[in-house]
Amino acid sequence: MALPGTQGPRAVQVTREEVERFCDFLYRRTGMSFTEGKRYYIDRRLAERIAATGSTSFQSYFAILRSDAHDEIERVVNAFTVNETYFYREDHQLRCMTSNLLDEVIRGKRTGEPIRIWSIPCSTGEEPYSIAMWLMENWKQVDQYDIEIVGSDIDTRALDTATNGVYGDRSLMRLSRDLIDRYFAPAPPDGHRIDAGLRNSIRFTRANLIEVKDMAHYRDFDIVFCRNVLIYFDDSSRRIAAENLYDCLRPGGYICLGHSETMSRISPLFQVCRFSDAIVYQRPEVDHGQL
Amino acid sequence: MPFVKRDTAIPSAAALSADEFAAHIAALGSRDPEARWRGARALAGRAEAVAPLAVALGVEANSRVREAIITALMRIGNAASVVALVPYLRSQDAGQRAAAIEALQALPREISPFLTALLADGDSDVRILATELARNLPAAEATRLLCGLLSVEAHPNVCAAAIDVLAEVGTDDAIPVLEQCGRRFASTPFLPFAAAKAIALISGEG
Repeated sequence: MALPGTQGPRAVQVTREEVERFCDFLYRRTGMSFTEGKRYYIDRRLAERIAATGSTSFQSYFAILRSDAHDEIERVVNAFTVNETYFYREDHQLRCMTSNLLDEVIRGKRTGEPIRIWSIPCSTGEEPYSIAMWLMENWKQVDQYDIEIVGSDIDTRALDTATNGVYGDRSLMRLSRDLIDRYFAPAPPDGHRIDAGLRNSIRFTRANLIEVKDMAHYRDFDIVFCRNVLIYFDDSSRRIAAENLYDCLRPGGYICLGHSETMSRISPLFQVCRFSDAIVYQRPEVDHGQL
Repeated sequence: MPFVKRDTAIPSAAALSADEFAAHIAALGSRDPEARWRGARALAGRAEAVAPLAVALGVEANSRVREAIITALMRIGNAASVVALVPYLRSQDAGQRAAAIEALQALPREISPFLTALLADGDSDVRILATELARNLPAAEATRLLCGLLSVEAHPNVCAAAIDVLAEVGTDDAIPVLEQCGRRFASTPFLPFAAAKAIALISGEG
């Protein structure tokens, strides 16, 4: 196979076995599982990385990747992640948070203890900012508690965008004019920059959901939003991610998945909680040793 | 604004040192289930941990920890981890059997060399579970293995399990074997019915 779009007069030739080798490496490092059905997606991004590194063969590119020269692993991860999202996406879960989950969370809080909410993967930041905006707009007790919101993603380029906080019209398509006027300022030529107070309130960090040691730094969250990422993982990576998320939650903490995802088919570690606005999953308060 | 931000530095993940590895292996034998859970989780993907993980799986009573051990073996995903998991197909504990099936189904390439023997096992329960392991194999290979079983299998429940899998993943090559199986078990009405249903599904008529 000749990969399209590569530098020089001749395209770099990559065999099927080499693509498999590349995918295996990517899987081992990130949990992202790409099968033959996504061949075009893989070929295109692999070609871009081979060209960008000036490699003249797959072998020379793979050597760069394995040695992580010039942060190539991070660059390839950035190239393979999907960052399509928007503000107030799947807002029924945000409604569930303010209608049900937070009532349960604050019941177990000591005075002065913060509420901790995690958005992983947070992509370019729309989700953690949405959580903050939703709380400001819809939770009457918002000023009575310290609320810590963390946004994490494996893609550092996406995190830079999140920190910068400038978005196009497409990201804001679900927001009312009133919300846009109150939380955003024009960012020429045609963007919208989120309010500095919100920008400075959310911590953005790099985290790999399937890396046990990486995730060990995140603990005691009350609510985790982990939406539309597990569908990209294979069975064992999903289980690793589920176990990592279990450890990141406080006992009794909640996890919100994407609308097409269900923890029941991934891991028995969590209890299903059915609320009027959403189905979420809860880390049991007590480990009885029996799932 | 009610939001607080803590700028705790988060160090990047590093590989396990030899001492850490030994500590996690030792933790598998701890009395504290939390320590065993952490040990198993830290060993996910470490090929040299297969043997101690397999030993731990055999004695682990806490189902949450057992889940973590199974995940660790799945993540290692080599022939040794398959060898460690296969014996649990014979377990008297339904939870252990289900966990082993789930883990082995996720390793179709690695379980494949073991399937011929498992489908010929002397225990019909193991043969039934082995048909489930064929479900995630490439269709042609699953068809070949299950047709080989169906053509000689005497136990109707094993045949029923194989037909169920073939109905989902079988190719046209399975049709004559299914027809023959239906005739062979004519006195067990369910099997000719199931075989006919599978043939219809494989032919696109179901």
